[in-house]
Amino acid sequence: MRKKFSAFLFVLLVAASLVGAQQKVTIKFFHRWPMEPRFSFFNQVVAEFEKQNPDIKIEMDSVVNDAYKEKIRVLVSSNNVPDVFISWSDTFAYNLVKSGRVKVLNDMLAKDKAFADSFIASQVKPFTFDGKTYGMPLTIDGKVFVYNKDLVSRAGVTTMPKTFDDLLAMLQKIRGAGMNPPLLEGLADAWAISHYQGTMLQRYMPAEVLAKDYAEATGEFTNPGYKVVLERFQKLVDFMGPNATSLTHTEARNLFLAGRLPVIYLQLAEFAFIKAANVKFEWDYFNFPAFADGRGDPGTLTGAPEGFMMSNTSKNPEAAEKFYKFLLSRENAAKFVKDVGAPVAIKGAVNATNAYPALIEAVNLINSVTGSTPWFDNAVNIKVADAFMRGSQAVATKDKTIDQVLRDVQNAAKIVASEAKK
Amino acid sequence: MLVVGFILVAYPLFWILMSSLKKSEEISINIWSLPQVPQWNNYKVAWDKGISQYFINSFIVTLSTIAGVVLFGSLAAFGLSRYKSAWTKYALLIVTGGMMLNPQVCLIPLYQLLTRLNIRNTLFALIIPYIAFRLPLNTLLIRSFFLSVPREIEESATLDGCGSLQTYFKIFLPMSSPILITSAILTAYYAWNEFLFAVIFIDSNKYRTIPAGLMSFRDALQVDWGPLLAGMAISAIPIMIFFISVQKYFIKGMLAGSVKG
Amino acid sequence: MASKRTLKTLEPLGFIFPGVAILLIFVYYPLIQNFINSFFRFSAFSPSKIYVGFDNFKMLFQDSVVLTAIRNNVRYAIVSVLIQVCFGLVLASILEDKAFSKVAIIFRTTFFLPVLISVTVVCLLFSFVYNPMDGLLNRFLELAGLGSLARPWLGSSKTAIWATIAVSQWHSTGYIMMLFIVAIQKIPEELYEAAEIDGASKVRRFFMVTLPQVKEMFFVTSVVTVTGSFMVFNEPYILTRGGGPGTSSTTLAVHMYQSGFFKDMMGYASTLAVIIFLISAALAVVQLTAFKTGED
Repeated sequence: MRKKFSAFLFVLLVAASLVGAQQKVTIKFFHRWPMEPRFSFFNQVVAEFEKQNPDIKIEMDSVVNDAYKEKIRVLVSSNNVPDVFISWSDTFAYNLVKSGRVKVLNDMLAKDKAFADSFIASQVKPFTFDGKTYGMPLTIDGKVFVYNKDLVSRAGVTTMPKTFDDLLAMLQKIRGAGMNPPLLEGLADAWAISHYQGTMLQRYMPAEVLAKDYAEATGEFTNPGYKVVLERFQKLVDFMGPNATSLTHTEARNLFLAGRLPVIYLQLAEFAFIKAANVKFEWDYFNFPAFADGRGDPGTLTGAPEGFMMSNTSKNPEAAEKFYKFLLSRENAAKFVKDVGAPVAIKGAVNATNAYPALIEAVNLINSVTGSTPWFDNAVNIKVADAFMRGSQAVATKDKTIDQVLRDVQNAAKIVASEAKK
Repeated sequence: MLVVGFILVAYPLFWILMSSLKKSEEISINIWSLPQVPQWNNYKVAWDKGISQYFINSFIVTLSTIAGVVLFGSLAAFGLSRYKSAWTKYALLIVTGGMMLNPQVCLIPLYQLLTRLNIRNTLFALIIPYIAFRLPLNTLLIRSFFLSVPREIEESATLDGCGSLQTYFKIFLPMSSPILITSAILTAYYAWNEFLFAVIFIDSNKYRTIPAGLMSFRDALQVDWGPLLAGMAISAIPIMIFFISVQKYFIKGMLAGSVKG
Repeated sequence: MASKRTLKTLEPLGFIFPGVAILLIFVYYPLIQNFINSFFRFSAFSPSKIYVGFDNFKMLFQDSVVLTAIRNNVRYAIVSVLIQVCFGLVLASILEDKAFSKVAIIFRTTFFLPVLISVTVVCLLFSFVYNPMDGLLNRFLELAGLGSLARPWLGSSKTAIWATIAVSQWHSTGYIMMLFIVAIQKIPEELYEAAEIDGASKVRRFFMVTLPQVKEMFFVTSVVTVTGSFMVFNEPYILTRGGGPGTSSTTLAVHMYQSGFFKDMMGYASTLAVIIFLISAALAVVQLTAFKTGED
């Protein structure tokens, strides 16, 4: 009996050591798309990578947009930085970089020229600070007005607006033709408000004022231009009707897809939804028009790339790098374009074999604009962005005046500045 | 009035069931009518796209919470009902006081504590706080039952040579099964439906319980309402049937719970 | 021998210790920590804390959102006591009336069903009900020829908080009703018979017999409901996406969450938690003292 038992123990030990010998390297991968079609895309990419590299296991995790913003900042400030993770560009990326736990990619890029050169250069810049590159972009994006050609031409609109006043006139004309609302946004989603306001601020305000105010330590938001911009935003909101504040962006987009809404402000990445919905109408798009009295460059496009970063405290840097390059390889970028239908920052990945014409055009647009403006809610401190976004909801429901909102914004900016100084 | 109330309550529930069998477009267009062709596939989609995982997580969390609450609660109740000393007086005070405290108040420090213990974003981040916040009520509930156990039973057990631990296991636990079941069901109700901690202490989709999971399920599906409604039905129906079948215990527990806390 | 005696005095501790330890670590320690936190300024993602004295409390008094939140909590409390407690009691006594004894079980179970559904399912359901364009409520109003009453229920600052409160009533009235049913069942039958012999009408019997007999339950459920109203988080968090539009439907708990986890002002959020604690502690004291007098 005892012999049998010790034999059993022995077998167990051998088995355990065998398992131990085969132990896999684990790479933690964190992204922000638990929803389709991207969720499946990443699942497939990870599965393929694990097949090609049986000794590496990818531990993938994902949460949606707003939650991701919070979680990734917590993770990066702790000792649990994921080996590979997604980040927005510009200020958001910079805040992560400040933790000192994000890997500098310069060495890797210098060693692998082919990899470094596979990206559209202008889209790498928003991840580069003080000459150090911390991330490489996967997606590129931009925000444009998309319109239902059938509805708009039925209202007698033939030319697309060049200025903001043209836009108002166009919306007026559409509404006059009995289509109400002519324009709609899901104002219940705070970020959707920030997409409008970020663009409008960029178009109207002098760039130096914005640069000073967007910086945490020097932000004041006392320039009279802010009031003008909020007033003009309110003009657009007035076209949206009383339901806007109780709708989400997704709901508004659905109305557009269903042919019930003439104009909507969409991301280029959202073209995929129009494509997938097989809409029965013709559609086209135009960039946010200029303000006749605006001081910002009207040729820029609002929208920013999203890219992957790596931890510099990774236990398995080689495996992480391998996975990193695999994720951003041209094959997978092309697969992303095909499966997801959104534009990417890897050269040549969007082409006639995997993309529909509108998407190719979208990439051309991104490449042709004079510059890009990062998303407002990522460009300023969240307290300031929140004051703008919540405040504008309250203006839309007539609970606050624009002056009150600006006071809240200025107070928030004061708090942010005092925190940044300490 | 009863009939109006009945419709107000019953129709929305019926509507979930009915719409969960419709195509997503049908839901917004033919809002009142029955599904043209029942879309049983919605249930499969919902189950495969995440509900199954949330279900398993909710199950693990609920069962573990019940085990913890019943075990630690009855142990403490035994100590608090069978002994009298300064210690037990303080302990009783701590337990009673705990009933007055709300999870909201402890939210942020608890978040920090769980982070420091490295268990945030694991199922333990739910199980342990759930046990902690349910212990006071259930300890007092079980204690009041133990207090009603006649001394003689305990004494005869001691004469038979039972130590206190044996008395607890062999005498008290078996005879108090009704109150333990009540306490287990009350705990199940709480753990299955808790939302605040579930949404804040868990980041990953794979550890979400049903209440928090349904939220990310909605975000992930975007507008695919059919599967969303099917997911809602899946997460509501089994537990409804369960609680109705144990109604007697549940109501008893509710009563104790509301009177005392 | 002496050691055996100490063992004996330590014995109860062995039973009590695990439970009390959990409570101390995961309930009491966070409570105290929260008081300390309220004097600091810190972020969830940086380890450093800055002592700011009473700054957070000063900010509290300048923060107009706090007033909105408390006003909404008070509205919650008033409506909840009226509907859940008062109406719940009326419902219970009707269902316990002999005239309804045959159908009572169906109604009782139906009214109790919402209690058994998790709050997320309820809120998702009502986001379908309140949807401004394709929602059940507005479509029903149009059908009933009351189209002019249709409105964006959750999108207007005038209706958002009331629409949210209504959802809670739908969810919880059955719970309180069930408690009253049990309480009414405990009333001795003779009391009703005596009243009936005196020729008291049903309404009079309700006021003469039922109400005095369930007085204690009435009080307890009221306090529980009011306490719950000051803690409410789930419904506004889900339905109006964190108290929108603007901050019109926010509550103390939602404001705390938004300040801490969205705006990353953890210290200020702790200060809001202190306010929540003070309110709930005051209500608990009311409940305890009143319950003690009830026992005499």
